This record gives sequence, structure tokens and C-alpha cells, in this order.
Amino acid sequence: MPWEIAKQAIDYILAHESDFKEESVIWDFIGGEPFLEIDLIDKICDYLKTEMYRLNHHWFNSYRFAFSTNGLNYHTNKVQKFIEKNHNHLSIGITIDGTKRKHDLNRIYKNIGTEEKGSYEDVVKNIPLWLEQFPMGSTKVTISSADIPYIKESVLHLYSLGIKEVNINCVFEDVWKDEDDKRFEEQLLDLADSIIENNLYEDYACSFFSETIGKPLDISLENQNWCGAGRMLAVDAKGNFYPCTRFAAYSLRAKRPIIIGDIKKGINKNLLRPFLVLDRFTQSKKECINCEVASGCAWCQGENYDAAETSTIYQRSTAICKMHKARVRANNYYWNKLYRKLELEGKREEFEANKKDLKPEIC
Amino acid sequence: MLQYFIILLDDTSASYCHCENTKMERRLMPLETLRKGIRFGMMENLMIQFVYPDYELPTEYNEVIEKIDHSKIKPLADAADVLILNKWQLSDLPNDIPVVLRTSKKDLFARYNELEEVLNKVERLNVVITDVETFTEDDFNTYKLVLSALSSNLERLYVNDKSPQLNLLTDRMMLSQMNNCGAGDTNITLAPNGKFYVCPAFYLDEETDSIGDIEHGLNIKNEQLYKFDYAPICRHCDAWQCKRCIWLNRKNTLEVNTPSHEQCVVAHLERNASKALLENIRKYGTFLPEQEDIKEIDYLDPFDNKDKWQ
Repeated sequence: MPWEIAKQAIDYILAHESDFKEESVIWDFIGGEPFLEIDLIDKICDYLKTEMYRLNHHWFNSYRFAFSTNGLNYHTNKVQKFIEKNHNHLSIGITIDGTKRKHDLNRIYKNIGTEEKGSYEDVVKNIPLWLEQFPMGSTKVTISSADIPYIKESVLHLYSLGIKEVNINCVFEDVWKDEDDKRFEEQLLDLADSIIENNLYEDYACSFFSETIGKPLDISLENQNWCGAGRMLAVDAKGNFYPCTRFAAYSLRAKRPIIIGDIKKGINKNLLRPFLVLDRFTQSKKECINCEVASGCAWCQGENYDAAETSTIYQRSTAICKMHKARVRANNYYWNKLYRKLELEGKREEFEANKKDLKPEIC
Repeated sequence: MLQYFIILLDDTSASYCHCENTKMERRLMPLETLRKGIRFGMMENLMIQFVYPDYELPTEYNEVIEKIDHSKIKPLADAADVLILNKWQLSDLPNDIPVVLRTSKKDLFARYNELEEVLNKVERLNVVITDVETFTEDDFNTYKLVLSALSSNLERLYVNDKSPQLNLLTDRMMLSQMNNCGAGDTNITLAPNGKFYVCPAFYLDEETDSIGDIEHGLNIKNEQLYKFDYAPICRHCDAWQCKRCIWLNRKNTLEVNTPSHEQCVVAHLERNASKALLENIRKYGTFLPEQEDIKEIDYLDPFDNKDKWQ
């Protein structure tokens, strides 16, 4: 992204304060890999801070800069200097997928000789520094069909590295093969046994296990949309605005991008209306509305759009259905087993008083 | 549930709604397609509406058409059941058939005074504004004044025992539920190419947007999205006279079930003007006693009220 584009995007957003009434803001830098452009990002962040101050904007001192990084450049002087400068307003997540064999399945260097080289070794060495600077740092793991055999070992490995919160979810795309749900369920059951038998639940959390999932939902009371598309604003390197990066051309397989404006013309609010009135009922099949284990079953608006039979964001993709149901079965097992153990040990009340439930992470 | 079946007899068939027909070259529906279309309508128990071009059809077409109960939507008054006017040619209008006047906002704002005489003559006038999506805040204010003036005209006529219908003002008074265009839900269109479309505008806009064809039948994907219950804004709205134009929805918001801000505000200005008209006529005596009062509301776009129903 050229600096001028970034500047104009900031100028537009800050000049339209009445359109962005939220109390706080997260300026999220998404690449590719954001830390490859740390000089530009540093300049952008400095400009944001001075402009929010100069304009007496309500976001001044109520903002965060967020990064999802592959971690390779985390230790470099420039990145470290940036972290030092902005530490109190930073959220940084390093994406490490688990064990070396799991991580290196998908995260491979480009153009290094003829042999493929994974990035695990170079990422893992930066984890201690990251956790020293951000002790509550969490990671985000995405599971596709080929990743299923490595779920248990990967979550436990991440715990062993000191990462206390592992946010993990299945991809929303229709990639699932026959029996994937059974293999997934077995992995989660094994993971549940390990977490409980080794008392890992006391200090660590994995988002696959949540007490709130797997219940029916009353459509009259719980009709809200899952996804935040349209309630955020994404800007690309050309200065086009999107309801989420998933609606940019590079993210879509089969559909035209949904561009809701640009830095010169501003936001076309008519194009945002469908996103802002989306609800669960209008986009879901009857089987989803009536599903006995509906709670926690997530969707991605971009994938819904991409997979829809017509050009609409109002057709919910159900590719993830069998994986959600498998997760619910394993989740039920986890909580039944954990609570029985706690009861036998006389620790249930103490656990319930202190427990925290992970907020569902999506995308 | 489908009730109406619109058959565009020619590529140059007159537009009677928001979308402009820019097709200049005649392409008459093949006679065999017309026969199959009529048979489809009969088998599905649909009321057929033929939309005519501005030239005389060959005799054999008229013979086929007359074999089934139907309505004729025409740009010529001759034997029409609905007359379409694309220009403000308001003299010599027939008094016994509904008239559709397609107009730009500019012409409407400049010439609305001419409508009093029309309303004095015809039983029903449908005014279709062809550039609703271009309305600005100033236009909304002007439209409000225009509706108020038309309302005064109608009030005078009603007090003098005439009861012409003007869609912009009298429909809402007489309705007790949504009554929208129904494209893709209560009606579909057969085009001269033998394919089905959600409405004529979808054909005129992009011929590849078909929803099946006369040989293989209807194939409406995501058909629920054309239904009122699946329109999050509309199902919380009581501007029941609104056209809820599916084509304009898609054009302006990219979704067939979501109206634009402009469409909503225009419909609410009409709704509120209808409310005032109903109240004013009732000052003279009993009028539409079975109809409830139209409620006072504090918004012009239900989207702005969404926090109350989300």
C-alpha cells in the first residue's frame, strides 16, 4: 500500500467521526505478513496518533494496533523498536500452528532452493521473546481436512511453549471429506483426556471446548448475525473499501468482489445495508434454525457469499455442519468428564467461581 | 405463491415500471414460445398479463392471446387494460382503465399540477418515478411538498364525491398489509427468448439472469429471498404501498431483499402523506371505517430504526 493511500484512508475515516461512533477502534494490519512493511506501518501509526490528537478525536487514547504475524521478523530491531514505542496499545498474535510437522504442512518458504522448507524453526525461536513482552499472548490455529491428525499434539505443544490460550477453529470452506468428522471427534476426545488428566485446564484454554456451545437457540431471542462483516471497514492497497477483507477479489473463488466505496468517493451506505440488517433467521435453512446443537455453530459471511448459489450474502453455507456436531459431542464429553473429576476432588465450586470462557473467535 | 404471469411479447415491449427499456430492435416472441407460455400459465393457474410493444401484432398472435383470460398492458390506449405513458401526454386519456405514468423526478416536481385534471378523469393513476435512486435530501423535501399538494387535490375530489385512486397517496389508506410488486414471489416474467425472469427489468438489464426456461420449467435459486418474511428491513415496515422493487434493491444494495435508503424514504413520505390525507378526508365524515388509523412514526427509513427490532 502506498503511503498516500494509507494517509487518505486515515483522513477519510477520521473526518467522518459521526459514521464511526464506536467508543474504541482497532487498527488491524493484515497482509500477507504485516511486519514486512514495518517502516510503512510505523509511519501510519505515528500519523494516526498525531491526527487523532490534533482532531481531538474520541478514539484518541482509546485505540489498539493489532497484528497477526507469522513471527519470522518479530525479533528484528525495527519490529522491536516499534513494539517498544507502542506497547500499551498493541495486540500481537503470532501464528504458530502447533507441532513442527503440523505447522510446516502449510507454512512453507517461497523460492528456497528446490526443497520445500517450513518456517517452524524460525518462528518457534521468537515465541519466548513474544511471551515475555505479551504474557497473555494467544495464537490462532485453523484446521482443514489434512490437519485433523495433528490437532491434539499441536494444542498440547502450544501449551508446552507457554501459550495459554489457543483459539482454534475449522475452516468454513467445503473441504471436508467422508469420515473427517469422526477423525476430528477422536482427536478432540484424546485432547480432552490429556487436558483433564494432566490438569491443564487450570492454566490453559482451548477454544474448541466451551460450555456455551451445542444448545438449541430460540430464534426470537437469539437472532443476531454471527459475523462482523460490515461492522468493520477494510481498505486495500488501492484504497478500495470492503465490509471485510474476505470480500476482496484475492479472497474470493467464484464471486465478484463487494467494494463498498473508496478513499475518494467514501462509503456507499446503501451497499452496507444488507450487512447491517443480516440476522440468523434470514440466511439460515430451517434445519439450522431448528438444530438442537445450534449454539456456537459459526459462519463466515464472505464464505457464505462465495459459496452461495446466487450473488447474495443471505445464504448460509453449511459445509461446517458435521464438524460442528462432532465438536459438540467431544465438547459434551470434555465437560462431563471435567466436572465429574472436579466433584470427586471437591474442587468444582472453586473452578466454577474462577473459570473464564473463551469468546468464540471466527475467521 | 405465484399468482401472476407477465409475458413480454417483444424486446421493445413497453416498460411499465422503474427500469427503462433501452432495447431498440424488435424481437417478437416466437409464436410457439407464446403458446407454451400460455399453456404454462394455464397449468400453473396464473393470471396472465401481456406486455405489448408499440406496434400491431400479427393476427395469429392476437388469436392465440385471445384464447385465455388475460390483461393487456399497452403503450397505446387501443384495447388496453392498462395504459402506459412514458411522456406527459395527458390529454384524451381514457377514463375507464388504469393509467401508468412513468416520469422522472424532475418532470414530476415541475408538472405535478397537471395531475389534478387527470385525477378528475381517470379511475386510477399509477405514478412511477424512474429515478428514485437519485433522490437527494433536497429532493425528499420537494417530494414532500408535491405529495402535500396532490393530497389537497385528492381531498377536494373526494369531498366532491369523486374517488380516484393515486397509487402514491390512496393505496396506503386502503391497505391492511404489505402489497408490493411481488417479483419472484407472486409473479414471474417470460421474455421473448423463452426464458423466465424475476421481472421484466431483470431481462432488460441482463439476459443471463434467467430463472429457468419454458422448456425445462422454473428454477428460482434462493427463492425465499423474494418473500417478504426474508426481507429484514421490509418485515419491520408499514409503508404497505411501497413497490419494494426487487430490481432496484439489487441495483442499489446488491441484494434482492434489501431496499435502498432512497426507496425507503420515498415510500415513507408517501405513507405519511397518506396518513394526513386519510385524517383530512375523515374530517368530512365516515371514510374507510374498516381501516385503522395510520400511526405516527418518527423515522423515514426503517433501517434507522433497526436498533428497536434487532
